[in-house]
Amino acid sequence: MATHFQVRIANEEGSYAAQAAQAALDLLDTLESHLSRFRVNSDISKLAQLAPGDTMRLSEPAFACLEIAKKMEQITRGAFSATPAALQAQVSLPKWDLLREELSIRCESGKLQFDLGAIGKGFALDRMAELLHEWDCPSFLLVAGGSSILAGDPPRETPGWSCGLGDDNAPQRFFLTHTSLSGSGLAVKGQHILDPRTGGPALRQNRAWALADAGAESDALSTACMVLSEPELEGVLAQESSWLVFLETEEKILTVGNRIAPPSA
Amino acid sequence: MVDKLLNRREFIGTTAVAGAGLLLEACKSDSDAQKAVVKKSSLNTLNVALIGYGEEGKILLESLLNIEGVRLVALCDIWDYHRNEGGRYLQKLGNEVRTYENYEDLLAKEKDLQAVLIATPDFWHAPMTNTCLKAGLHVYCEKMMSNTIDGARSMVKTMRETGKLLQIGHQRRSNPRYLFTLNRLLHEAKFCGRLTAVQGQWNRAVKEDFGWPKKFEMPANMLTKYGYKDMHQFRNWRWYKGLGGGPLSDLGAHQIDIFNWWMGTTPKSVMASGGLDYFKNHDWYDNAMVIYEYPMAEGVARAFYQVQTTTSAGGGYFEMFMGDDGTIKMSEDPSLCAIYREARADAVSWDDLTQKGYVRAKPTSAEDAAKVDVRETAQLAEYEIPVFFNKPPHQPHLENFFNTIRGTAKLNCPGDEAFTSEYVIHRANDAVAAQTRLVITTDEVRA
Repeated sequence: MATHFQVRIANEEGSYAAQAAQAALDLLDTLESHLSRFRVNSDISKLAQLAPGDTMRLSEPAFACLEIAKKMEQITRGAFSATPAALQAQVSLPKWDLLREELSIRCESGKLQFDLGAIGKGFALDRMAELLHEWDCPSFLLVAGGSSILAGDPPRETPGWSCGLGDDNAPQRFFLTHTSLSGSGLAVKGQHILDPRTGGPALRQNRAWALADAGAESDALSTACMVLSEPELEGVLAQESSWLVFLETEEKILTVGNRIAPPSA
Repeated sequence: MVDKLLNRREFIGTTAVAGAGLLLEACKSDSDAQKAVVKKSSLNTLNVALIGYGEEGKILLESLLNIEGVRLVALCDIWDYHRNEGGRYLQKLGNEVRTYENYEDLLAKEKDLQAVLIATPDFWHAPMTNTCLKAGLHVYCEKMMSNTIDGARSMVKTMRETGKLLQIGHQRRSNPRYLFTLNRLLHEAKFCGRLTAVQGQWNRAVKEDFGWPKKFEMPANMLTKYGYKDMHQFRNWRWYKGLGGGPLSDLGAHQIDIFNWWMGTTPKSVMASGGLDYFKNHDWYDNAMVIYEYPMAEGVARAFYQVQTTTSAGGGYFEMFMGDDGTIKMSEDPSLCAIYREARADAVSWDDLTQKGYVRAKPTSAEDAAKVDVRETAQLAEYEIPVFFNKPPHQPHLENFFNTIRGTAKLNCPGDEAFTSEYVIHRANDAVAAQTRLVITTDEVRA
């Protein structure tokens, strides 16, 4: 999750909002200590040492994040993976099971080289949003790395948080409330997205955005969109009516999915 | 609109932004034990209570959850927001615990405890520890032992009178990397040669004071009952005299304890400068720079320590032991650890140390024997400490405590030893206030 986060709070007295934001950022630090592969002692780093057959107890956030990752792997039929680079070093994707009773993970096969870069940011936004509700600060916009956002209640006397698809001041904009929007693409970091099903580079060269209720879902889905063909994507979205996807083409931005698009800004 | 940079995280507060683009599972596989049926404790399964579920309590709990044979049966915190959060968290993990506002109620009702972990504000450590020890319990108490020297001294006295164990939470003392490096490199291989200087630091960026959700504000009478003037003081006790010891005690205690431990002695003097120069609503200094003089067998070694709460300076907390043959830089963060050897140090070679397993060459890219590329002069080989340690930092120290209760270990930081370290930390605070050099005798550092 080594990226820049923003907390924006509206409709609240400034110093109280600043304290709530600090509490949300403190929570983010805790989550990062569990989920980051760049932290030697994080759950995710330690998992890489498990041999097939080994189990390891996870912290609650790591377990919850991996539970969502597992679900997203299944729904996207492997287009999203929590071990996306595995095929570059292993002959097949590692297999793992979550043991809910024991809050543990078992390595079934391979080496568990997790990289939650495509879901951890969104997961963190979801947890930060829960905390802001505890603080009675429901009007917020949380931003992770400029690629995932989670909107709460709208700022006073507005229909929502104005969010654009693409670069600064993008023409296609929406008013978002109670919604998460994530984007993926190659423009900033170059070719960094791998198709976990083949180990090869992403199919899509243009950007994709995913809209969902939860940050973890939109974050994972937008990455999956980069490797799914349009027919595959339609099949995925047919199962989940709360998701909506925007695909950039040379001519325009295509909308895919059954969810009604938010109002234009 | 308020716009503040907080590290690489950012808060943008706005009151009018129209159009703004804007855990306990001690018996992991024992499902019976997870249903609030507290089994009779034994040395195989220790029943413990956690007193204080703030920032430090949460860290201790995460480590505790990894340790086999220890069962958390009760949780105490005066703030219902934290107390209920802890209860819910443990419930999510399948572990019901009984929760208490008051530690004396906990002691009165929990009759099958062996030990308590105390992670409350410093000024509560002495009364809580003394009461728990007298109640026949072993105590793991977070550092600092107390916000006063007298308080810390009383804890050692009670430890001795009751014969119960008192481990103080200077967790680096049980860190395998620290233990290995001290015993193998510093002592056995004499890697540093003659120690001439020590340097340590812990710097932090400016951050907002802790706040609290309005709906969870504690009533004034409860705050008074537990020693706080108001909610801000309760949440930010570390900044207040009479409650905590300021940054030298909060952060410096970790490094200065290591100074004493590794130097094998206590300083004979301290001078310091510091002040409350940045924050307006705190009691304690927000920065301090300290110099200790350690009387070593071959002469004085000076130790410099700085703590800043106004700049992270890129981050980092470490202790660096510098000698005429080499330097060892230690940190709880393995990425900050380093070892340097002086050119004059020819008594022991890198090869010897590598062969003994005391150091390891840092991996470099594999060479193809059939090829060579000519370019700039290659870097010298770099070496590192070969201890990989993949537990949360506090876990080994807690394990050491529980194993000592079982009779299979010896405490790595018993109260009397911790007192010696903490005494010189209190004196550094005194030196800042006195703005003069203070002498520390070998008698006064002992409890």
